[in-house]
Amino acid sequence: MRRRVALAPLAAFLLVSAGCGGSPAPVQQNASGADKVTVGVIPIVDVAPIYLGKQLGYFSDAKIDLTLVQAQGGAAIVPAVVSGQEQFGFSNMTSLMLAQSKGLGLKVVAAGNSSTGKAGADFSAVVVRGDSTIKTAADLEGKTVSINTLKNIGDTTVRASVRKAGGDPDKVKFTELALPDMGPALANKRIDAAWLVEPFLTAALNSGDRAIAWNLVDTSPGLMIAAYFTSARFMTANPDLVQRFAAAVNKSLEYANSHPDEVRKILPTYTKINAETAAKLTLPAWPTQINRQSTEVLAQLAVDDGLMATKPDLNTLLP
Amino acid sequence: MRVLRGLPGWALGLVGLAGLAALLEVVPRSGLVQAKYLPPFSTLVRALGQQVGTRGFWSALGHTLLAWAIGLAIAVAAGAAVGLLLGSVRFLHAATASTVEFLRPIPSVALIPLAVLLYNVRIQSTLLLVVYASFWQVLLQVLAGVSDVDPVARQTARSYRLGPWARLRYLVWPTALPYLLTGIRLAAAVALILAVTAELVIGSPGLGHEIALAQSSGESAVPVLYALVLVTGLVGVAVNAVFRVGERALLPWHPSMRAPV
Amino acid sequence: MRVLRRALALLGLPVLLLATWWAASAQSTNVYYPPLRTILRTFRHVWFSDRLRNDVLPSVLRLLGGYALAAVLGIAIGVLIGESRTVRGVVEPVLEFLRAIPPPVLVPVLILLAGIGDTMKVLVITSGCIWPVLLNTAAGVRATDQVLADTAECYRVRGPARLRYLVLPAASPQIMTGLRQALSIGIILMVISELFAANNGLGYAVVQFQRGFDIPEMWSGIFMLGLLGLALAGLFALAERWILGWYHGQRRASRSR
Repeated sequence: MRRRVALAPLAAFLLVSAGCGGSPAPVQQNASGADKVTVGVIPIVDVAPIYLGKQLGYFSDAKIDLTLVQAQGGAAIVPAVVSGQEQFGFSNMTSLMLAQSKGLGLKVVAAGNSSTGKAGADFSAVVVRGDSTIKTAADLEGKTVSINTLKNIGDTTVRASVRKAGGDPDKVKFTELALPDMGPALANKRIDAAWLVEPFLTAALNSGDRAIAWNLVDTSPGLMIAAYFTSARFMTANPDLVQRFAAAVNKSLEYANSHPDEVRKILPTYTKINAETAAKLTLPAWPTQINRQSTEVLAQLAVDDGLMATKPDLNTLLP
Repeated sequence: MRVLRGLPGWALGLVGLAGLAALLEVVPRSGLVQAKYLPPFSTLVRALGQQVGTRGFWSALGHTLLAWAIGLAIAVAAGAAVGLLLGSVRFLHAATASTVEFLRPIPSVALIPLAVLLYNVRIQSTLLLVVYASFWQVLLQVLAGVSDVDPVARQTARSYRLGPWARLRYLVWPTALPYLLTGIRLAAAVALILAVTAELVIGSPGLGHEIALAQSSGESAVPVLYALVLVTGLVGVAVNAVFRVGERALLPWHPSMRAPV
Repeated sequence: MRVLRRALALLGLPVLLLATWWAASAQSTNVYYPPLRTILRTFRHVWFSDRLRNDVLPSVLRLLGGYALAAVLGIAIGVLIGESRTVRGVVEPVLEFLRAIPPPVLVPVLILLAGIGDTMKVLVITSGCIWPVLLNTAAGVRATDQVLADTAECYRVRGPARLRYLVLPAASPQIMTGLRQALSIGIILMVISELFAANNGLGYAVVQFQRGFDIPEMWSGIFMLGLLGLALAGLFALAERWILGWYHGQRRASRSR
């Protein structure tokens, strides 16, 4: 998933005792008795529904006083949820499965966003320069592809595209770059291809670059990229609140899916994407159904590509 | 060069900054770097003009300055106190030297997950990073200052039987003061960098967060991005200017402040 | 006896802190703060392997490259600034401006100019290390003893000889302070430079561990960074004692009189 390159947590805090991050604090209520809930999100297109839902009052209707906190990447959101600083978070599926496999005890509560499933009209793709000799994903062998986070959903799905096109993914060189740096690097021929996500994808296509592979589409139909999650401990302690939250999120997802114009209007309010760009970019799909099949595919890919030793237990992760 | 020699200090500074602005205007326009990735100076000024009209900009600037000021104050107080203590008591200095050398290179950005765990995206998480980084700057300078006390002066003080407080006031403090002020000036710059970096990475409110937002918002936000970077740089210049003036006011007797006779 | 006392001073506090950490974390079930025992075990199996050659070595080489470049440029520009009021007036605001820009923001510009390879990373390190060296050099040059400067002028010692016999020696204690600070900043920037467009390195390894939720490995990497800092600081202290031998000797002599 899209994330800013999170700076490394190299804390050598000798005197902090292990007690840091004990059981989650009980949920507080605001003046009118609604539950105060903080959700960690990344300021990108994918989370537009929850902003829309908050604006439409879906959460306050469910007696939830929602605060959306912007983080720069899943790496900051997961610890916040695990420690109870935030009650819910938004993160991509591969990261959630990685965390699960390392024993972090997370639980998905609602779908996040999904690929549109249409090659040629998805919100992310592998892009090359207009004059490049690369025509299909198989031509990526021996070339350098930039991904915004290595050993995660980006490179595993691009590898799946390469395999599907008949190439050998082990011959592809991956390098990590932040999304804004990919355009310049591509133009200056420092890399051969880049996995771009909106709003960078439309900008690239408009300036003459070509999309050669729609990796999310290639991996699994309607691939669910990310999800809203909480910690298992929180879920056990507050089952009713989690249910209400999930219901409100689903209502928001449905609304966003059927009112793309409103989504485009709310984008500039929480990002710096201007109205002009918001009108032109391709939006992801926002189904409410949690896509178990695509998650299984992602799990298998993660094991095949060496991200995890064994397949994670999806029964404990997914509802 | 001769033309410049007669100008007062602030005018020279403006000349320098004007030169930088000119460079920033010419390089993108010449094609050395593509203008859409690094816009020319005039475009940035226009974007800045738009930003200045928004309330969000001033609120972000306020947050950054607040975190910077509070963090710096804490770091200076702690650094000076610890530095004076460690510098004066030989045993403590020797005992803590290896720990200091071990902890110092650990980047304050390493404290980011701790900060997030403790304070999430509130201003305290920025403060944690700012204080940690600035503290070392001040400490090192104060330690150097205290150990630089002129041996003859020290012996003179002992012959006149000056007590520890008098020694501190008349001997250690004046020697350490220039070092301390350099340390504060360095720490002020580090504090600013860390404040903005912390906001950039953690997402606590401030200029850094606005920059991060602009970075993930695609090409249309690039002028805004660098306009904000300009502001960050200008704050750095202002901070340095303020501290230079302060240094001059407090150290008129130091050779570095006196022009050659 | 003296060796024993030195060893005690060097190791005393760290051992105490480590013991406290060991005890406090022994029962920890918190994923982000594993027991110290686990971290140390992981340390051995992560770092005493190919990683030393494949990750630590390239990082250290880049660090040394960036540090050396910063030292040379920093001293050169620092001397120019310290000597001439005009140069200082013009250049200082520009330097303060550039210095205030946080490295993560500077990196995209550097990528534009220098690409995504080792050059860019060395430049990132230089861009941060140069400041303490430069500022301390300038301050040291400005604080040159006036009597010495006048004497040199009387004897018409100018140009390169003046630099070599007056300016640099007078400023060298402060230059060394600057170089020491630059060393720790260098390690920080070494890590930051490996967060962007990297595929090897100590900082890169630690970030990958963090992303993959391999927390004990991540902590072991942090330890490694601390050890690296300690080792470099030790080497630096040896070098300083050699270079500033005359200064320390002079002060010791005047102390014992």
